[in-house]
Amino acid sequence: MLQYSIKRILMAIPVVMFISFIVFYIIQLPPGDYVSSYSAQMTAAGEVMTQADMDQMRANLGLDRPVYEQYAIWIKKIVFYGDFGYSFNYNKPVMDVVKQYMGLTLVVSLVTMAFQYIVAIPIGIYTAVKQYSAGDYFFSGISFLGMATPNFLLAIILMYLSYTWFGDPLLGLFSSEYVNAPWSMAKMMDLLKHLVIPVIVIGLASTADLIRVMRGQMLDELNKPNVITARSKGLSETKILFKYPTRAALNPIVSTFGWSLSSIFTGSTITAIVLNLPIQGPVMYKALLGQDMYLAGSWLLFMSLLTVLGTLISDILLAWLDPKIRTEFRGN
Amino acid sequence: MKRSKSILVLFLCVVVFVVGCTSNKSAEPSSSATTKPTETTEVKPVETEGTEGTKEAPMLAALVSDGKLPPVEERMPVPGDIMIEPVVEEIGQYGGDWKMAWNGPSDKWGIGMITEEALFRFTKEGDKVEPNVAKGFEVNEDSTVFTIHLREGMKWSDGMPFTADDVLFYWEHMLTKETFGKKIYDAYYSVDPVSGEKVLADIKKVDDYTFTVTHKYPSVQFLERVAIDNKWFFAPAHFHKTILPELVGEEKTLEITKQWGFEDPKQFLVETGYYYWLYPQIPTLRPWVAKTDPNSDQFILERNPFYWKTDEQGQQLPYIDRIVQTKIQDPSQRLLGTLSGDYNFGQFGANDFTVLKENEKKGDFRVILWTQPTWSSEGIQLNQTTQDPNLRKLFQDIRFREALSIGVNREEVSDIVTNGLADPIQASVPEGVIGYQEGWAQQWAEFNPDRANQLLDEIGLTQRDRNNFRLNADGSELTLTIYEADPNKNTFLELLKKYFEDLGLKTDIKLVEGGALFDLKYANEVPIHTENISVANVAFRPDTLVPLRIITPWFGHYGLYSQSGGTDGVKPEGDVAKILELWNQIKASKSTDEINRLSDEIYKIHRNNQWVIGYAGPTPAITVASNSMRNIPSDLVSVDEYRGLGHAHPAQFFIK
Repeated sequence: MLQYSIKRILMAIPVVMFISFIVFYIIQLPPGDYVSSYSAQMTAAGEVMTQADMDQMRANLGLDRPVYEQYAIWIKKIVFYGDFGYSFNYNKPVMDVVKQYMGLTLVVSLVTMAFQYIVAIPIGIYTAVKQYSAGDYFFSGISFLGMATPNFLLAIILMYLSYTWFGDPLLGLFSSEYVNAPWSMAKMMDLLKHLVIPVIVIGLASTADLIRVMRGQMLDELNKPNVITARSKGLSETKILFKYPTRAALNPIVSTFGWSLSSIFTGSTITAIVLNLPIQGPVMYKALLGQDMYLAGSWLLFMSLLTVLGTLISDILLAWLDPKIRTEFRGN
Repeated sequence: MKRSKSILVLFLCVVVFVVGCTSNKSAEPSSSATTKPTETTEVKPVETEGTEGTKEAPMLAALVSDGKLPPVEERMPVPGDIMIEPVVEEIGQYGGDWKMAWNGPSDKWGIGMITEEALFRFTKEGDKVEPNVAKGFEVNEDSTVFTIHLREGMKWSDGMPFTADDVLFYWEHMLTKETFGKKIYDAYYSVDPVSGEKVLADIKKVDDYTFTVTHKYPSVQFLERVAIDNKWFFAPAHFHKTILPELVGEEKTLEITKQWGFEDPKQFLVETGYYYWLYPQIPTLRPWVAKTDPNSDQFILERNPFYWKTDEQGQQLPYIDRIVQTKIQDPSQRLLGTLSGDYNFGQFGANDFTVLKENEKKGDFRVILWTQPTWSSEGIQLNQTTQDPNLRKLFQDIRFREALSIGVNREEVSDIVTNGLADPIQASVPEGVIGYQEGWAQQWAEFNPDRANQLLDEIGLTQRDRNNFRLNADGSELTLTIYEADPNKNTFLELLKKYFEDLGLKTDIKLVEGGALFDLKYANEVPIHTENISVANVAFRPDTLVPLRIITPWFGHYGLYSQSGGTDGVKPEGDVAKILELWNQIKASKSTDEINRLSDEIYKIHRNNQWVIGYAGPTPAITVASNSMRNIPSDLVSVDEYRGLGHAHPAQFFIK
């Protein structure tokens, strides 16, 4: 297994390098660059930007150099100094921008993820065990609705309800008086209050998805010979349920766990914009729109790195969870 | 047995589910209970102490009694030199937060204009300037020597004195060295009426509170042009001395750049020298100064204890303690926050008018409409130098422009696109704005598709293709391509497309990203664009009406021709050349009357040619203020040249 892991890790290196090049190339593809989008913005605000101003700015930012040169400089800095470049929009190094938003992004993502698993797995098991009961139909109905409703629409509906019922649309993660306040119990409570909508909205689709997957897997597993054997041995029903079918049914959930790694670090994008959440998703979206290329490039690079890493973790987790995979691998 | 077990499982699931939900729900009541007391403490500073003749805000008085701040008399200019700002409605009281939504640090000017203090500012009518940071000025007979007086004892927000040295320093070490990314402004050049030669002005210090600006040739509009081009004409010398490479050396500047978290020294100097109001470290003369990092989710500005204006009763301004700007990611959040009372002030577009008006009572705010000197709210500009020779010929044909104008039903555009808020009129100078011409608004404004078709036939666009679209006279395909960056223009453009295609003109709408559109404009690849003309006075800011550089879509590369001195671009001819000629005469003009006469000529040429076609008249600028926020003028011309909201003199706004 160790050999397998090492092989996988080594294979990931050229993949990541290739991705970095593609990423940089794609970012350069759309017409215009940061200076033109910045100038458009400043001109809209009434400022006068002459050609000379723009040329000077391009020279200042190194945007007048050929693409391959810009790429070489960028990669060199990443490899040798861990410097991911500079965000033009923020006037800060990319890493500082990423750090600024990382904390809250992780809070939102992890709470959402916990919500997903805590809600989806029990319901999935229940709907499978009680197939075709009223409860099954109820939860299945809900989960189909959850899968079919676009997140951002649900966000708008919940904000509307919150506004009409409580007079506060619960935008953002904090009430305005707490945004810059130091951490305190009250701020924590305020955060929890504001987390309800984002967690439900962001989590709902994948929760619904997980319920379906869990239910389907459980139904497959419930009538397997090992379950029947266990039952005939007189094992308690709970023990049977958790020892055999549940364990096996978790497989696909674990294998997708790794893929969610990149979404944990970026958080959602459209929903976050609708709800005004100060997390990574909208930051990256803005960077892409404004051609803030080092910020956007670094993010795309992180995300692809995380996806590669996530797949690796999933494979290892699966091998650990499922004895069949383990033995098959040994057989190789 | 089996049944009871599964019930147990079910019970377990339900418990987990319910616990998962209630842990969130239980947070709600307790948190709302804890937020309440803080809300009341926030209102606390609004006390009636101000009416007892206190000369300064309670929060500053507390600092003075703690010995952390000198007394108010020492912080302000000498008594005769204090500027008295007239209040709009009534003498205000101290305290409170001005809460707004903001689009983040890229929206530099939103907060910049509100807090801006120019050397000279425009009067309410906007026809001339009045002293602001300057105490006064004298000018000699032929408008070549301007003597400008400053206020004795005036201080920067860090308490250092503000003197003529700060002006001279700015001129010598920043402006003329072009350290902050801008070329020396046109306002500082005077023009030889004969040769057209541009000569840079000469700035001299007379004493600590007086300096002179000497032009070689008359510069009648010098002060107005400075108020628009440069706005401020000073910088805190004591701060910039510590960062400018010229004075501390390149290496040291690089080191400071890195300390501030910037990458490139040049960009650092642009940010600190030009967008200085965003950085808490830089002293300013503004009523509120930055207190937090502009990149955080809330940007807070706090009152400047050394501010140099008072109300009529001698109370130091500003009244409002802080400006709190909360970052939003979507414009609808500004609306939502205003409706729910999260923000007590906001500015909106015409499309939000109905929803704001509907909620005026419930939200306890008022909707204030300010005039905008825009020519239209929905319209198109035809690029007179567009690349395709067939199109160019058409665009330059006045009959074609008339056909496009009368072929559209303006009533419908006004009703559908602007909620009927705009008049169904032609793009023209609105009444009450400099350059207004009677009858212009009605020119080609009536819907007459028959005449439009007839005009198009007359031009020679008689051949049609299979889809019944008109072809060029030479039989080639004819397509009108409209470039647009703003997705909100969609309704208007769909409508326009329908009317144009009814005339047999194939219309293509291309939605592109703002930066890309900017580049396309520079490359002269935008035949038609929907930008509206907004200009308070062509003599103050010619950019939209006179092709001096690439900026406004209608004159396309005529602008490049002027900008490059005739080496590049398209040589202006006919009426466009005449506009440029008039502009040169304005620059070399010796009297205001002459300038007004020449400006009027420029407006008339525009009227005769109608390169810019409007389909709906201007809409008002919509400002929303909570009913407790007072002293906001209800009749104002909102335009960039007068500094938008800054023109309302926010230092005297207060919260009742």
